[in-house]
Amino acid sequence: MLKRRVIPMLLLRGERCVKGKKFTDFRDTGNPVMATRVYNAQAADELIFLDIGATNEARPTSLDVVLKVSEEAFMPFTVGGGIKTTEDIRRALVAGADKVAITTAAVENPSLIAGAAEMFGTQCVVAGIDARREDGKHVVYTHSSKKRHDVDLLELVRELDKLGAGEFLVNSIDEDGMMQGYDIELLKKVVAVTKKPVIACGGAGNYGHLAAAFEAGAHAVACASLFHFGDNNPPRVRSFLKNAGYPVKDI
Amino acid sequence: MNPATTDLKRCKRCHLPETYETIEFDGEGICNICRSTEHKKNVDWAERKRLLDALVAKYRDKGDYDCIVPFSGGKDSTFQLYYLMTEYKLKPLVVRFNHGFMRPTIQKNNERTFKKLGVDVLEFTPNWKIVKRVMLEAFRRKTDFCWHCHSGIYTYPLRVALKFDVPLIFWGEPLAEISHYYDYLKDEIEYEDETKFNMCRNLGITAEDMYGMIHSEEDPVDRRDLVPYTYPPLKDLKKLAYCSVCLGSFIPWDYTTNTEFIKKELGWEADELEGVPSEINGHGEKIECFMQGARDYIKFLKRGYSRITQISAFHIRNDRMKPEEALPFIAEEGKRPPSLDVLLGYLGLEEEEFNEIVKSTEVHPYHHDYSHVEHANKTWDYASFYREKNDGKKRPPGLRVLK
Amino acid sequence: MIGIVDYGMGNLRSLRNALDFVGLEVDVFAEASRVQEFSHLIVPGVGAFGKAMENLRTRGFVAPLRAHAAAGKPLMGICLGMQLLASRSVEFGDHEGLDLVPGRVVPFEASTSFPVPHVGWNDLTIAKRHPLLAKVNAKRAVDYYYVHSFHFSAKDQKDVIATSDYGRTFTAIVGRGSVVGTQFHPEKSQAGGLALLEGFAEWDGTC
Repeated sequence: MLKRRVIPMLLLRGERCVKGKKFTDFRDTGNPVMATRVYNAQAADELIFLDIGATNEARPTSLDVVLKVSEEAFMPFTVGGGIKTTEDIRRALVAGADKVAITTAAVENPSLIAGAAEMFGTQCVVAGIDARREDGKHVVYTHSSKKRHDVDLLELVRELDKLGAGEFLVNSIDEDGMMQGYDIELLKKVVAVTKKPVIACGGAGNYGHLAAAFEAGAHAVACASLFHFGDNNPPRVRSFLKNAGYPVKDI
Repeated sequence: MNPATTDLKRCKRCHLPETYETIEFDGEGICNICRSTEHKKNVDWAERKRLLDALVAKYRDKGDYDCIVPFSGGKDSTFQLYYLMTEYKLKPLVVRFNHGFMRPTIQKNNERTFKKLGVDVLEFTPNWKIVKRVMLEAFRRKTDFCWHCHSGIYTYPLRVALKFDVPLIFWGEPLAEISHYYDYLKDEIEYEDETKFNMCRNLGITAEDMYGMIHSEEDPVDRRDLVPYTYPPLKDLKKLAYCSVCLGSFIPWDYTTNTEFIKKELGWEADELEGVPSEINGHGEKIECFMQGARDYIKFLKRGYSRITQISAFHIRNDRMKPEEALPFIAEEGKRPPSLDVLLGYLGLEEEEFNEIVKSTEVHPYHHDYSHVEHANKTWDYASFYREKNDGKKRPPGLRVLK
Repeated sequence: MIGIVDYGMGNLRSLRNALDFVGLEVDVFAEASRVQEFSHLIVPGVGAFGKAMENLRTRGFVAPLRAHAAAGKPLMGICLGMQLLASRSVEFGDHEGLDLVPGRVVPFEASTSFPVPHVGWNDLTIAKRHPLLAKVNAKRAVDYYYVHSFHFSAKDQKDVIATSDYGRTFTAIVGRGSVVGTQFHPEKSQAGGLALLEGFAEWDGTC
């Protein structure tokens, strides 16, 4: 039976990991290579690395970190941040990443998704959606929440699905780092319009929030603050989920 | 007793609640740790003993010491030292990481133990200023202030092993006794290595992580200050052909009989624990450290159970207490220990701030009622605990925000 | 010495890292003439069957790989690499495979409960003992990481070493003679996967 996935997320800034609230007020959360070693020891299902400076600094994810991480990660890991071309993707995959997360380019140049899916396979492509609640709607943002777009959220999801996105990483800017729970409404909206796996992101603060995300249809949950700012780790999460009736990985 | 704690789902046998780390309940409502312990008697202990004999034979008499014994002075390390020296006549180097909170009874026990057994002992005390900084940082992030102790205890003996060229390191109790990171059912020897260290010893924070968390231009930290908490490189350990194992994987571990042994043979004495009735702690659980009460209290605030539940659980699993006999003791859990004031003094925190931080890391589904506070008794040695009254107001509140 | 076949498709670095970590001697190579240098071969693979076979053909790997297997030397296919061991695949057309383990590669039937691709951790049901599993602790239930839309339908059930379940039972490990293949990625399956790679390295090719 396929197990639910719990995916620690690590934001990269230079050579360190950081974590903020609503995409600002960042605090140091460790060294990415050592964090990978720790998560590997804890048998985390996958990892997601997002280079948060990349898009706004007009460069792709730092490959140096990817290379070092791939020596420690014996589970799949995704890298994202500043991915603009298929060459960026190729380099990330050659450096050892299994998948790439594309957020800004998914909105500004969706043909990249199609190109990536064709060259590397849909399983390599994770489409990232960052959204903010405004007047009862969810509005799409790119450039690490700095640039607003008028595109319809669900139309975007449908289009990216058709173009070849393998999974969707759905991130709530409002809930990011707040540890009050995922934006369940946002999650449900996206789950309703795609059959591809949806990864919930932004807002997990306790194990109950993870169960709520699964209930809402998420296939996987991404967590950052939950692990950085709480006495929690992947093995403990697995035990909770098992008790709550969700199938999780045995190690 | 805090009414919220009764809402937690608990193991029908040992009463450990759903907020206990790695606990899982089966169809009968019995927890995985109880099931693992049930299986303990099915382990081929005769074969394990043979493995131990072979291990000892392989490593003994090769260098200045036959093995390293990491030692705190608690019931487990005292027993493991005693066992290795009497059963195998090994020449160990005892290595002790001084976390800074040693109690007088333990100091006396250790002096008696070392002198009665006749053994070389190396003790290391880390820089207290750094200890305070990492205590606060770990407390803020994980509401567990003992990072320096967890990290130091499990890395320092390996550093010594490398420096003295002693590859065999014997630890004591297996984690399979307490949690489900390891399990008797899997029939494996428990190694104490970097994987275990990162999985469940260091709160998921390595020395490298911690350095970047506490160092800043305004308040710099010398990288070398984190060396005592840094796991030695695997390639060095492999070159040493190290073997770092738990004695409890080779002989069945029983806290009560182990303690009876060391009481009789070494005059080892148990001690009072804040918030724990002595009648259930004759075997001297956790008496090494005067911050234990504060530690147990934080656990209760976060998870709705504490030391009394854990001690009762052992007794129940080892048929020394019936499940229903534990309940009146568990009802007394969660009292605020006097040593909390000592901790707040070190960290420079007011209790209100302390409570806010702990509240933010409550483990689902537990919610603590902070309006309901009962006080635990002081232990006899309370006045002897080292004290500092630090002023936290000089530093910015919360974790450092990056520019 | 283990050789990882570089035919332009697959996460070679991860596989190399995993084998390095376990302490095995390994080399990644792209020249078909070097096949005979290696006692063990691993064929990785991520992507489409047709393109993979085309790459193997144009780089001259087909005959040497078959010869390696015929000589009774251990050969392991991973994910797409495992599927390439089959006789044929219907992914985007009708393609011939290496035909080292008779069988066909067929698609999963997508449904709402079981969307395709099958991606994530799934358990393993062992059908028969095999040296590949020698280092895997039989007392642990271990999951492995899968990401695929097609699966291997073996002609002979005897060749099915282990299965998994995703809406239907499918082949997780296939093997015949000195040839073996895993649908999952052992280099991405942590302790269980590393144990499997160790088992492969120590296997002499006989069953």
